[in-house]
Amino acid sequence: MPTEASSTDAASRPGPGGVIEQVRRAVADVGHLVRFRTASLRRRRAGVVALAGFVVVSLGAAVVPAFVPGAGAGDGRALDLLLLLPTLLTGFLALTIVSATASGGGRELLARDPAAIHPISPTTDHLGALLLAPLNIAWLLQAWALLAATAYALGPELYLAQAQVIVVLWLGAATAIAQVLAWILEGVRRVPHGIVGIRALTVGVLGATLGLQVSGRLLQVFDELPTRWIVIGMVSDSVGRWALTVGVVVAMLLGAVVLGAVPAHIAAHRIPQDELDVESGQHPARRPSRSMLGQLIRTDRASVWRAVPMRRGVAVLALAPGLVALAGNLPWAQLTVLPGLVASGGALLWGVNAWCLDGRGGLWRESLPVEPQTVFDARAWVLGEFLLAASLVTVALGAVRAGVPSVAELTALVCTLVVVTVQVVAASLRWSDQRPFAVDLRSARATPAPPVVMVGYSARLALSTTITGLVFSGLANLGAWQVSALVAVPFLAWSTARLLRTRRLWCEPVARARVITAVAV
Amino acid sequence: MTDTPAVVEVRSLHVRFGEIEAVSGVDLRAHAGQATALLGRNGAGKSTTMRVLAGVVPPTAGQVTVAGHDVRTHPLRVKQAIGYCPDVGGLVPRATPWEHLQLAARLRRMERWEDRARDLLERFELGDVAHRVTAGFSHGMGRRLSVVLAALHEPEVLLLDEPFDGVDPIGVEATFDVISDARARGACVLVSTHLRELAVQSCTTVSVLRGGSAVATVSAGEMAGEEGARAYRSLLD
Repeated sequence: MPTEASSTDAASRPGPGGVIEQVRRAVADVGHLVRFRTASLRRRRAGVVALAGFVVVSLGAAVVPAFVPGAGAGDGRALDLLLLLPTLLTGFLALTIVSATASGGGRELLARDPAAIHPISPTTDHLGALLLAPLNIAWLLQAWALLAATAYALGPELYLAQAQVIVVLWLGAATAIAQVLAWILEGVRRVPHGIVGIRALTVGVLGATLGLQVSGRLLQVFDELPTRWIVIGMVSDSVGRWALTVGVVVAMLLGAVVLGAVPAHIAAHRIPQDELDVESGQHPARRPSRSMLGQLIRTDRASVWRAVPMRRGVAVLALAPGLVALAGNLPWAQLTVLPGLVASGGALLWGVNAWCLDGRGGLWRESLPVEPQTVFDARAWVLGEFLLAASLVTVALGAVRAGVPSVAELTALVCTLVVVTVQVVAASLRWSDQRPFAVDLRSARATPAPPVVMVGYSARLALSTTITGLVFSGLANLGAWQVSALVAVPFLAWSTARLLRTRRLWCEPVARARVITAVAV
Repeated sequence: MTDTPAVVEVRSLHVRFGEIEAVSGVDLRAHAGQATALLGRNGAGKSTTMRVLAGVVPPTAGQVTVAGHDVRTHPLRVKQAIGYCPDVGGLVPRATPWEHLQLAARLRRMERWEDRARDLLERFELGDVAHRVTAGFSHGMGRRLSVVLAALHEPEVLLLDEPFDGVDPIGVEATFDVISDARARGACVLVSTHLRELAVQSCTTVSVLRGGSAVATVSAGEMAGEEGARAYRSLLD
């Protein structure tokens, strides 16, 4: 949580040049925090390789599609993409708004507890959140997709470079604008009844979108998006028009970066209501469970569903792709891609560092007389049901307009749900054992692992589950349901074997003690 | 100090975390009906020794038996015999005190534990917050609840690691009562603390740890008063 500058801090006192001095100090503090975080990186070489990979992939996405046959043809798919560019630019803005809002204003350069002892201003916090926003697989994939779509739509023409400059600037501007909105919404959330207001607003926006879709006016809205003006500037032959577009986007970027500090300060002065509700609320006693496993599952379930980041995150994960599928009228065969994405996102909320759920209670829990495999089974079960519940909501929403599925389509979808759930649970618990982190998941802004590690996890999860989804998407079109069931067997066998191997490792006392003592610090 | 067999017996305990040797050759004997304090500066190896006794961290080398069970070969039986208050936190953040008690009772197959649980919560002034998640607790409240959880099942061996840290006088008194009740029913109590005065008040024997190994074991009386403070200081240097 950001803290105000100390009252004894000379720089925080109003005076001539006070605001400018505070801003300079905030920017300098971002540098200090970044250096602090990078100094604590254990695998610096991997970080350098990842950075180089990011640059190569970004350049590749911005250039390579321009040389694919049909790129920049002025008709066919290239023309379709060109016409879609305003919608894609707006879609990127929508994604960053959802992402920043769901994470309570964006990620923290330094977690709340260790940050509490330092005079870190909300401006520093705001700038840090902006800096960390791209360290998110959804952000990266969308950004690369936008660069690639632009390259394919325009082809290897001279104005590809000028267009990509504007796209890159737009990525920054959209992220900064989203950050401003996220701080405003977080500020509203923190006033009495603010949460109800935000929920009402969300329902209103979703209702309006669905209303436009049902009435057939959504395409008309897409055609009139203000981002059209930016796309025209991207492909304009006039240097003046291009320069004007660059100037406007840069102004939006800088304006949003500066403006974001204001709602960030307002939000920082208010107490997070949802955390307060969880911590001050009464949770009446229930009858003890009949089995030890049942009691452990109940404890783990409470740890998950009472955590603000998990509740908020899973709601967004379950609803957003489902509503996109609903609006886009996705056929059954394409719905198979969604469970993998949702399960991956769900695991990134806590599953990739699953033992951190107990926090400092890990030491006490480990002293209880229960077999370690029962503890493992309970955690795996709770993670599995968490991911499956989110995926089922998404699929249910997507299924509303998909019509009646064939047996082959239904089998492929069910197989995907089961396979990706086991796949993600196995990977998450393996990483939880290999790299445990002591984190406090109280705040909506908390993540179960440091940002750079999260990017690695999310990339690996997204890749494996998307491939799985695409395989079953293809099988759904075959017409024979038995094929999906047969193909699911080796997938399941592989993931189950890996899960059982992790379980065996967990039962090894020295390895378990390493994990427990690491998360309980 | 006593002829009765030791309930806790530690011989040449070593615990190593990678390059760091947290405990290097601790020897310790603790008996039924007695309370032994582990005193020492930060990093002396007190908490690691307690974690080994609780079956949470396996020993790297040495022989450790608790209630007649080897911690290395029978950790589950050790866990059935002990009640453990860890040094840090010790509470699941989003579970309530009552849910903690319910889990502890369920895993120990306890019947009719509710009255004792309520009584302990009242004695430690936690009755009003029994159904609130512990994430919102103060440090002292957390410490008090950890002692309650360790004492609930009247264990054969009670392991309290820094139970007085940040606890108010009422909580300290209640912890004293838990220790004396445990001794009265013949339990073996180990209290790890850096607070010499409270260790002397609550325990019968004091073992001083320094640099990961035990340097002296004396009666609590020898550590009392000004003279005891001087003796303690000389052992730490």
